[in-house]
Amino acid sequence: MGDPSYRTLDLSRRIGELWPNIEATRDLSNQKVAELKKDLSDLDTEDISVVVQGSLGRGEFTSDSDIDWYLLVDGIADPHHHDVFLEAGKRIKKRARKDEGREKLFATLVSSHDLIHYIGGEGDTNNNLTRRLLLLVESIPLTGVITHERVVKNILKRYLVEDRGFRRVNGHHVPRFLLNDFARLWRTMAVDFAYKLRARSGEGWAIRNVKLRMSRKLLYVAGLLACFHPQLWFDDPGDRRIYEEERFQPEVVDMFHSIFSDYPLDILAGFLDTAELHQTALPLFRAYDEFLGVLRDSDQRKHLETLSEAAAESDPVYQKAREASHQFRDGLLDLFFGKKLNLLTRQYGVF
Amino acid sequence: MHRLGFSTGALALSDFRRALRTLEEQPVQVVELSAVRESELIPLLYSLGDLDLSQFSYVSIHAPSYFSPKAEAGIFEALYEIRHRGWPIVVHPDTLHDFSLWKKLGNLLCIENMDKRKRTGRTVRELELLFQEFPQASFCFDIGHARQVDTSMTEAYLMLKKFSSRLRQVHISEVNAQNRHDRLSFVSTLGFQEVTHLIPSSTPVIIESIVSEDQIGAEICRVQNALRGSVARPKAG
Repeated sequence: MGDPSYRTLDLSRRIGELWPNIEATRDLSNQKVAELKKDLSDLDTEDISVVVQGSLGRGEFTSDSDIDWYLLVDGIADPHHHDVFLEAGKRIKKRARKDEGREKLFATLVSSHDLIHYIGGEGDTNNNLTRRLLLLVESIPLTGVITHERVVKNILKRYLVEDRGFRRVNGHHVPRFLLNDFARLWRTMAVDFAYKLRARSGEGWAIRNVKLRMSRKLLYVAGLLACFHPQLWFDDPGDRRIYEEERFQPEVVDMFHSIFSDYPLDILAGFLDTAELHQTALPLFRAYDEFLGVLRDSDQRKHLETLSEAAAESDPVYQKAREASHQFRDGLLDLFFGKKLNLLTRQYGVF
Repeated sequence: MHRLGFSTGALALSDFRRALRTLEEQPVQVVELSAVRESELIPLLYSLGDLDLSQFSYVSIHAPSYFSPKAEAGIFEALYEIRHRGWPIVVHPDTLHDFSLWKKLGNLLCIENMDKRKRTGRTVRELELLFQEFPQASFCFDIGHARQVDTSMTEAYLMLKKFSSRLRQVHISEVNAQNRHDRLSFVSTLGFQEVTHLIPSSTPVIIESIVSEDQIGAEICRVQNALRGSVARPKAG
């Protein structure tokens, strides 16, 4: 991640339109990640990885963003991991403007075992599901690149190896097991929005509402596009071979790992960067740029953080963000029910 | 059927003569003479003329895995002296500093993929950079290291695919949590079986599992089982 010539920028150049907020948040993300990597470099050791997710993991960091992170452990338990965790936390806090969230999803120790072994079933809690899929779609290792890669590939392997339909010769090559979990993540985030509204007596409603409509939705979009990728590129004879062999081909795991190495917005941009889809891309990226513009503006962001649901109806900042979210939604409907994705969306996204 | 053999270091630490004696009675066709410790190298090289290696159709030498940069030229010269034997010289890439020296070995330089403690040579990406520096070098695929770095076996698979033309020999053992070379277990065998179909039967396989003499036969059986690669998945449908 963090390539200076990233897909969204390429798309922007080809379309001939600037998206200054996307660019600025990406630049700030790259800068912040570089600083944090330097700060933590002496904590790097085998079997653990300091992982960031959230806005920093999506490349959408603003000066008012918090830093969502945890210490991922993939190896034998060592009581000293707790010391690494405390030390990393101290150093990260110095670079953060805000404390971590309240949902115990971040700033904690996370074992790879639950992420890899508990996909579905009683052990797959909301936090486990969320961490697992965010690890795939919006995570960056600040230390322990090898550990991070190993866990991501093992999670992907479980989704892909155990999905028999995915490898069927005659049929769509869509990993339904993985896709269904992205759908579950999206619905979980939407349900949790209602839960938090009740648990916090409406506090922070407006900002969470806007994020749900935009950045949370983007995660689902990136997950769906990644899952549709093998089918869309099925014309390539080399790609076809890797699905048709009886023996599972780790190239498929590697391909998904490579797709998810892009930021979610870049996954979307990569898909839309063909001449016939540039018109579909325009409203989507304009809307997303507008959304990031609101988050980048400290006054507007703070305003949304304290705005009540009752006052939102007539609030110009909220209405502007809401309008952007409607453009984003309509653009996504055009994309997913347009010529290229209509069949896959209906068959795998609906019934 | 693969040609199998042992690393002398796995059988008798620092005592290659004893290791070779142990192998005389075993059904092995290949051997790796280990000088993993720097102090082992010169005694080993001086003894080469006296050793009876007629049992083996393939011999390689494992260069020291740690030495100071000051010692590099001397170690290289000692190994370069035996190039006429045509034996691959297995190196850990993190020990190579003066690339111009090691390039002189051409395809006898056999670069091994590393375990997770190292900072280079662990993944396909890192190995690609090394092979750009050493375009003639051959490849020693350490399946235990590859599994330790990536238990999904994706990296192992990609290494065997991408470097198939360079593949000279294989190291096999279970690399445990303390980075020691253990006997193969049920779980490591399952992992290995996912990729061993990609290892040509002509490629020599060197067992690095640390075993006593009475455990050699059982370990050979375990390795043969792992090399059978029997994990074709059930047909989807």
